[in-house]
Formats: sequence, structure tokens, C-alpha cells
Amino acid sequence: MYGGGNTFEGIKTDSIATEDPTKLAEFEARIERGEKIEPADWMPQLYRKQLIRMIEQHAHSEIIGALPEGTWITRAPGFKRKMSLMAKVQDEVGHGQLLYSAAETLGKPREQMIEDLINGKSKYSNIVNYPTFTWADCCFISWLVDAGAIVNQLANAKGSYGPYCRALDRICAEESFHLKYGHHCVIYLASGTPKQRQMFQEALNRWWPPMMHFFGPSDKISAHTEVLMRWKVKMGTNDEMRNQFLDMYVPKIWELGFTIPDPKLKRVKRQVSGNTLNLIGKNLSA
Amino acid sequence: MLNSLDPRVNRLPQINQSISPKAPLDQFGTFEVFVQPKEGKSFQHEGIVHAPNLELAYVLAKEAFTRRFTCVSLYVVDTREVFVSPMTEGNNNAYDLIPESTTSTPGNQSFEIYHLAKRGKQHVHVGTVAANNPEEAMVHAREKLNTGKIVFNVWAIATEAIRFTSEEDKELWLTLPEKKFRDASDYKGGDKLKNFLERTKINH
Repeated sequence: MYGGGNTFEGIKTDSIATEDPTKLAEFEARIERGEKIEPADWMPQLYRKQLIRMIEQHAHSEIIGALPEGTWITRAPGFKRKMSLMAKVQDEVGHGQLLYSAAETLGKPREQMIEDLINGKSKYSNIVNYPTFTWADCCFISWLVDAGAIVNQLANAKGSYGPYCRALDRICAEESFHLKYGHHCVIYLASGTPKQRQMFQEALNRWWPPMMHFFGPSDKISAHTEVLMRWKVKMGTNDEMRNQFLDMYVPKIWELGFTIPDPKLKRVKRQVSGNTLNLIGKNLSA
Repeated sequence: MLNSLDPRVNRLPQINQSISPKAPLDQFGTFEVFVQPKEGKSFQHEGIVHAPNLELAYVLAKEAFTRRFTCVSLYVVDTREVFVSPMTEGNNNAYDLIPESTTSTPGNQSFEIYHLAKRGKQHVHVGTVAANNPEEAMVHAREKLNTGKIVFNVWAIATEAIRFTSEEDKELWLTLPEKKFRDASDYKGGDKLKNFLERTKINH
């Protein structure tokens, strides 16, 4: 689930200057051709370091992210919802395991990653730290936080590092269940009693700001970001991912008659390959 | 004295015993996991699990890689049992880089051979050869299994080192089709949504 809002350490791009230029050119040519990088291949130090950081953060977010949902298993309304939520939590922990394996191929032992998580050295998605007061909070996570993660994961699955892409392919296949399940839960709340509608509206109000932060801060395109995008470590800017999420899910939230706590959010017409589409625009500079 | 089948429980400190910090980085070794996606298809490499022994590696592999109908069979082997050829790219065949064998006697041990046919994909099982050691197995594989198509990497694993799925083990996957609640297809909210939208239209 939660692969969102990666922040990359500000390592100086100069470190590339110390790399072997012939090997670096071969490495970049391979990525240019669309070939994947495999663990045994030569890779620049910066590439290795940023990938470990990214995959490790993603793995930690899966594990920590399963905790708030896990506490709702016993309180989920009805046997069916309990079964579904249990299966979902099991999936998330499984995803963590797959991702730790992928990160390990870059040379950092799994135990070291877990130690870094426990002693606070490693980061994870901040969104999983917010409290879930009601069942509606849990539904928001299942539907929309997972939706945001899928936007990120589908992009990252087209990245350049073989083991990470393969893990993501497996993960994305399971995420489709999470998304449908989450939407199902929210449809039931939306078409339920006024109290149930109010519950989800309140959850939406609480979770919308963290959801926007989930995709990370607005990117300033630096030389550093440019290199990571050329190496297909970062597959899109944080703003691109955020806008993609808004385009896809704001109409679905509005369809259910809920209000998104952001008065600047507007329907805009955008030209996409000749067709005028109704998309959601957010003026981020405002 | 705690005595559990779960080694993590056995590692717990005894009551009233002083707790000493554990040795750093003493994690379990890795085991390679291979799955068979469909009956009749070749086994392919899928990933690794950490485990204290081969038997538990098998159980963990089942949990990590086959929770949804993604395969009909799987097997695991200790990573140290995998003998790896040099990795090539472009038009270079990995078999061309394997040193010539000094002996030409057919061996008495069986080895499973795996090819990496496309970079970025998984190693796939291609056949079995008899040899005395993994180096020889690669040489025999070059004679027997090299079709002339470019292979970027070859693996050889002694058959006896592998923990295969037995017929009884296959029961592991019997209950999976009943667990529909783990499929996206089990969550059809369309009608409910349509009713809701129609109802709200009338009200407005």
C-alpha cells in the first residue's frame, strides 16, 4: 500500500563525477534502452543508495501501515468486513516482506533495515501515524490511501531496478482487491443513514490534508531530481502523482455527495490529445 | 523451559533471567523460492525467504508467494546450493564463458538447470543433467540444453538439495478458491451506487 511521497536525501550530485565514466555511460545506455538493472550489474553509488532508501521506506510503510487497520479487525462491522480486513492486513505485511527482499538485493541486510526502523533512523510514510477514531477513518485508508499508493506504485513499477519492479507487479495485483473493498465500504456508508454519511464526511475532513501531504512536498526540479528521473528511480514529480490522484478520485468522492475540505479545488477543462476532459485542477501556487 | 516449534519463542529470555543484547546481524540465512505457475509449465525463480531451516523456508515461501492462486507447486533451496555462471549481455551467451571440463565421464548426481533468457525476467527451469559436481553440470548443460538462443545466466542446483512439494503438500492450496473475499471481483458495489444516485436525484 503506502509507497508515497518519497523524499530523497540531498546527496551532492558531484558524487557522480567520481564514478567510472565508461561504466556510467553503459549503465545509462542500458536504462535508455528500457532494460532493467539487475543486482549483479554495475551501478553508481548514488543509484544504489537512493534505491535502498526508497524501497526500505516503502517496506516500513507497509508494516507500520498495517497497524492502524489491524486494530480495526475486531471492531469491523460484521463478519464479512472482518474477514476482508484481515485478508487486507495480511496482504500489507506480505508486501513488506517482498519489499525487504528487493531492498536486500542492493546489499543492506534485512535485519539492519528493521533495526533502523526501530531506532528511528529509517523513515516511513507519515500518513500511517494519524489516529483512526471511527470505522469511517479505516474506510478512508482502505479506499483512498491505498488509491494514492497505487498511483505511486504503478509509476514505480515502470522503474529501472528489476527486483523492485517485480515486487511491485505482485503488489499491484493484490492492491486491486484493497481498492475495490475500500470503495465498497465507502459506498455502504454513503448510501446508509445520515449518521453514517456524517461519519465518513468527518473522516474525509480529518484525512484530506494528510492525504495531500502523502505525495510529498511540491518538487523543485534540481539537478539531483533530474538525475534520479533519468535513471528511472523517480518516475514522476510529487505534484504529477498528486494531480493524477485528484483527477481519478475527486470525481468519485463528489459522486457520493461528499464535500472535500478544499475550496480551491475546481472542475477545469483540459485538452488531452484532442479530447476535452473534465479534470480536477488545483492551483498549487495559490 | 520453553520448547516451541517456533524458534522465535525458544529464543525468548527465561523468566527472571537477565536479558543480554543479541549478537548484531545474526539473521537467518536465505532460501531461494521457485514456483510453477500452471500445471505443465516450468518452474521459475520467484524470490527469497529468510528461515532457520529448509522445512520452515518451505512454509514461509508458501505464505509469502502463494497466498493467492499464483502457482500449483513450489520448491525451496538454500541459497548457498545455487551454483551461478558468469552474467552476460548483448549477444554474448553465458555458456561461452563456462570453462571446459577436465573430465568427460557422465556423473552420478542429478542437477537442475535454469536459464535467464531475458534480462529483467526470472530464471526458468530448463532441464536436468547428471554430473559429478556443479561445474561439470554446467558443461553437460551446454551440450544438452543449449539451443543456440542467447542465455544471459545459468544456474545449477543439486536435485537432492531441493525441498519439493509432495502430493500431500498440495492440500495447502485446496481452500484457496473458497476465499472469494480476497478477490476484487467479490466487491460489487455498482447496484448499490446506482440506487443511491437515483434516490438522491429524486430528492433534489
